[in-house]
Parts: sequence; structure tokens; C-alpha cells
Amino acid sequence: MSIQISNVSKSFGDFVALDDVSVTIPTGQLTALLGPSGGGKSTLLRIIAGLESADAGLVGIEGVDATKLPPRKRNVGFVFQHYAVFKHMSVAKNVAFGLEIRKKSKAEVAERVEELLKLVHLSQFADRMPSQLSGGQRQRMALARALAVEPTVLLLDEPFGALDAKVRKELRDWLRRLHDEVPVTTVFVTHDQEEALEVADEIVVINDGRVEQIGSPEQLYDEPASDFVMGFLGEVTRLNGINIRPHDIEISAIPGLAGATPGYVLRVLRVGFEVRATVLTEDGDEVSVVLTRTHAQAIGLEEDVRVWLTPAVGAAVVPAMAAG
Amino acid sequence: MVDVATPVKWLLRLVAVGYVFFLVAWPVSFIVVETFADGLATLTDTLGDPSVQGALLLTAEVAFWAVVINLAFGVTISILLVRYEFPGKRVLSALIDVPLSVSPVVVGLALLLVYNGRTGWFGPTLESAGYQVIFSTPGMIMATCFVALPLVIREVVPVLAEVGDDQEQAARSLGANARQTFLRITLPSIKWAVVYGVVLSLARSLGEFGAVKIVSGNFTGVTQTATLVVEQKYQNFEQEAAYATSFILAAASVLCIVVVSLLRPKESA
Repeated sequence: MSIQISNVSKSFGDFVALDDVSVTIPTGQLTALLGPSGGGKSTLLRIIAGLESADAGLVGIEGVDATKLPPRKRNVGFVFQHYAVFKHMSVAKNVAFGLEIRKKSKAEVAERVEELLKLVHLSQFADRMPSQLSGGQRQRMALARALAVEPTVLLLDEPFGALDAKVRKELRDWLRRLHDEVPVTTVFVTHDQEEALEVADEIVVINDGRVEQIGSPEQLYDEPASDFVMGFLGEVTRLNGINIRPHDIEISAIPGLAGATPGYVLRVLRVGFEVRATVLTEDGDEVSVVLTRTHAQAIGLEEDVRVWLTPAVGAAVVPAMAAG
Repeated sequence: MVDVATPVKWLLRLVAVGYVFFLVAWPVSFIVVETFADGLATLTDTLGDPSVQGALLLTAEVAFWAVVINLAFGVTISILLVRYEFPGKRVLSALIDVPLSVSPVVVGLALLLVYNGRTGWFGPTLESAGYQVIFSTPGMIMATCFVALPLVIREVVPVLAEVGDDQEQAARSLGANARQTFLRITLPSIKWAVVYGVVLSLARSLGEFGAVKIVSGNFTGVTQTATLVVEQKYQNFEQEAAYATSFILAAASVLCIVVVSLLRPKESA
């Protein structure tokens, strides 16, 4: 096991950032730390890197107790949200930094820098200054710089958070492919559930300084351990006292199945290929349902039509907590 | 830009230029005029005077050490103030501004009280160990350091705060130790602030008068700096020598500023 966090706690004054957190991160995988802002995920990443020290608990990297090691002795690569480029150095010099610190020969440094710049598609920008690069290019350079020292683990703190949506999506796909090429144990922090579901092998959901659930994207989506996880990973609606995803509700114009919940269609909204309907049940609940446009047409879905709702077979459901 | 009517614009310019001209440019130009009234004769005569030569050398020595010491302490204190939290930080920050608000004469007197060899609080101890501070070069360097103390710090602190510590953290995560991080990352990013701080300190140190006059004892040819020579010559009715020495002091300061402004555009281009 590559990274072992045991009973780590951290407070900033009165604010508890991490409360007795234990996580094991497997070697060679891409793991996402997912959660809302202020939930403690960045703090956990910085504790793994040694940029922040834990108040209590242990951090192990590749079987070595790293709790008291300074960052430079942990052999981790760290990528910052705002790139943290060395502004006074060229792109090539930025990437070479870690190697020069390690007193590698000039030829070796040059060769490795060239190789890495090729990997991140920045070969033609080697002699530029960082200020001449776009945000996405800077972050790729920062990634190459972190990879140059051949870290045992690569840590990324909201790496695409400062980029616009399109570049973000491109880099996300690219990171996934890069990880398949260079399978270094990677942990990245994100508050974007789509990013985590798309890129990660494993997701650790962190909220309020605690780990809510650990699992593969499928496990988390299909078998959420709590209300919070279910709500954070996708849309949720409530049908007969259970939380369920709107696309997991079957809607029909005839009372087919036993136990189906009858109701009236309140609103219908079409967004591209899908149709979102709000149904008022006879118990007075407003339930959201998502279905395809063809399905909606087939059952003649429109406002004030009477419909029957049933949870789809095998749908992820979580009993709703207190009424609300 | 604020849109201002043309006559107002011209009036504002006239006021600004006139103010600087009557306060700075005109008086200083008279020093130059007086110095070269007899061609180069005044300048060469003055430079041939051993008491002036000694004073210029002493000024250079005192200014050099004051700048070196202020540079080392200034950068260290700046990093301490910006990067670390500790009790008493605000008090330290406020203390650094004291030399700006206290008259240099008071500074000189304060140093005299602590370090003089006969009745000072600390002076006799030092003197019995063989160090004379007051009426000697160390005291003059201390007085000059004191008055120039905030100049490096007030230049470096805002730049250091603006740069942030992201780059330093990145360097540390890439394996750099504290010394390597400082030399390769921190220093290059505050380079220009440091240069400006040094130039300002140098100019201030060259021109220091009040504090140095008190702690030096003003012994001709021994502890007399260039500014003290200017005063003495002027009072002894050797106006030409006073003007020529003033000219040299002013020229040195102007040279500093010119050199910096010549160097700087290359950096940003």
C-alpha cells in the first residue's frame, strides 16, 4: 500500500479541518479526494506532502513513516491549483529544478527535461518564460516539473480548478491518459464530482473533516453509504421516503405495477435529449423524474397528466433521513 | 485616466513642475554652478585637501558597512515578518519605523548614552575589552545603520507578501533545502526590491549628518565624514570646498539612481 493515513487530526484555531481520518491509498492508482470546499481534502493532501503537519496521527509513504519528514525528503511531486511556477525561470529551467537540486549531470538533466516536455506536449515552448504560457500550459509544465524527480506519489491540489471549462475537460482526459502511460500513484483533490467519477480509479469522499466513503466510482454511485455521498455525486429526489436518482424512477401513464405511486405532472422541462418532469404525488411530495425524449413522447407526457411512479429495478436508494 | 479640461491639465502640470523646480532642481543646480564657477580648479583643490580626502574615504567606509549590515538584517527581518507568525510581530514591525520618525540627533544621543566609554550603560565593558564604539568608526556605522534601517525592509516586505509562498513550497516539495530555496527562488523574486532598498540605504547613509555628528565627536581628519566636512568648511568661510564636497555627495546619489534605472528596463523587457 502506497500511502497510509492513520488517525490524522488537524485544527486551525477553532476550526477542525480533519477529525481522526484514516485512509489507505493503493499503489499505482489514480485516487480522487472529493468533497465540498472547506471539507478538509486539501489539508489532507498537504499533510501527505509535508507542507502542513498533522496535530495527531501518522502518515506512511511506501511503508516508511513520513510523519516527521520534511517535504523535500518525502519524494512526492506536488501540483498546486495556481501552478506555483517559478516566474523567473524558463519552462525548461522550471522542469529541470528538481533534477539540478539533486545534482544530476547536465547531459542527464537536458535529456530528462526534453523527454518530459515531450510528454506534456510543451517541447516547442522550452525556452519561453512561464508568463508567455496559457493557464493550461502552465499547469502541464508544473506537472512535468513534479514528475521530473520521479516521485513515489504525485499529489495534485485542485489542479484544474483555475482553468476554464473547456480546457479543464481536455486536461482531465489528458491526465487520465498520462496516468495510463506513467502509472505513478496519484492523488488529486477536487470538488467536482464529474471530474472524480470520470478520472479516478478510486474516490475518497471527505466532508466536514471526516471520510464519508471510499470506493470505486461505480460503488460510490450505485451504493452510496450516506445521504451526503448520494447527494454529492449526483441529483437526488425523494419518492415514498427514500432518496433515489431522478433517472432511476420509471414513469408510466397506466397503473401497471403494484405499489406504484400515483400523481399528476406539475411541470415538464426539455433539456436537449432529456426531459425533466416534476410530479406531485397524492401524498403531496414533489418528485423529479428524468427520462428520454422518445420515452416522454411515447407515454404522452405533459402537464396535468396522471402518471404512476416506481423505482427502477436495481436503483441506488438510500432511506431519507428526517423529513424535510 | 481622469478626463480633465485642457487648461486645468496645464495648470496642474505647471504647479507640479514649478514645485519640484523651486524646491529641488534650482537649489541643487546652484551647487553645481558654484562648484564649477572656476572651471575644474575648485574641484581639484578640494580633492587635494587631505581632510576632505579622509572624510570621503570615511564616508565610503561607513556607508559600505551600514549598507551591508542593513542588507543582511533587512532581508532576514522581512522574511521573518512576512512568512512567520510569532508573538510581538506587530511590535517589531512598528519598531522598524521608529528611525523614520525620530530625529537622527536623538538617535545619536541614545547611542551615546548606551555605548560611551566612561558613563555609558554598556560602553565601559566594551572599552575594557578593547572595543571603542563612540568617537570611532563602529559607533558611526551603528548610527548610520539605525537611520537607514527601514529602507530595505519597507521595499522588500510588500514584494515578498505579493509573491506569496507558493513557489517556495513548490521548491521544497521538489527537494530544495532552506538555503537552496532562498538562493534560487526567494532571492530572484525579490531582487529588484533589494536593489532599490540598497540604493536608498546607500543614498541615506552617504548623506547622514545628525546622528553621526554626535557619536563621531567630529574630530577633523579622524572621525569627520563628508557631510561634517561640508558643515565645517562652510562655517570656516571655505564655501568653495563646501560646494565641491556637496557636489560629490549629490553626484554619488544621482549616479546610484541612474544606474538602477538603466538596469531595470532590461529586466522587464
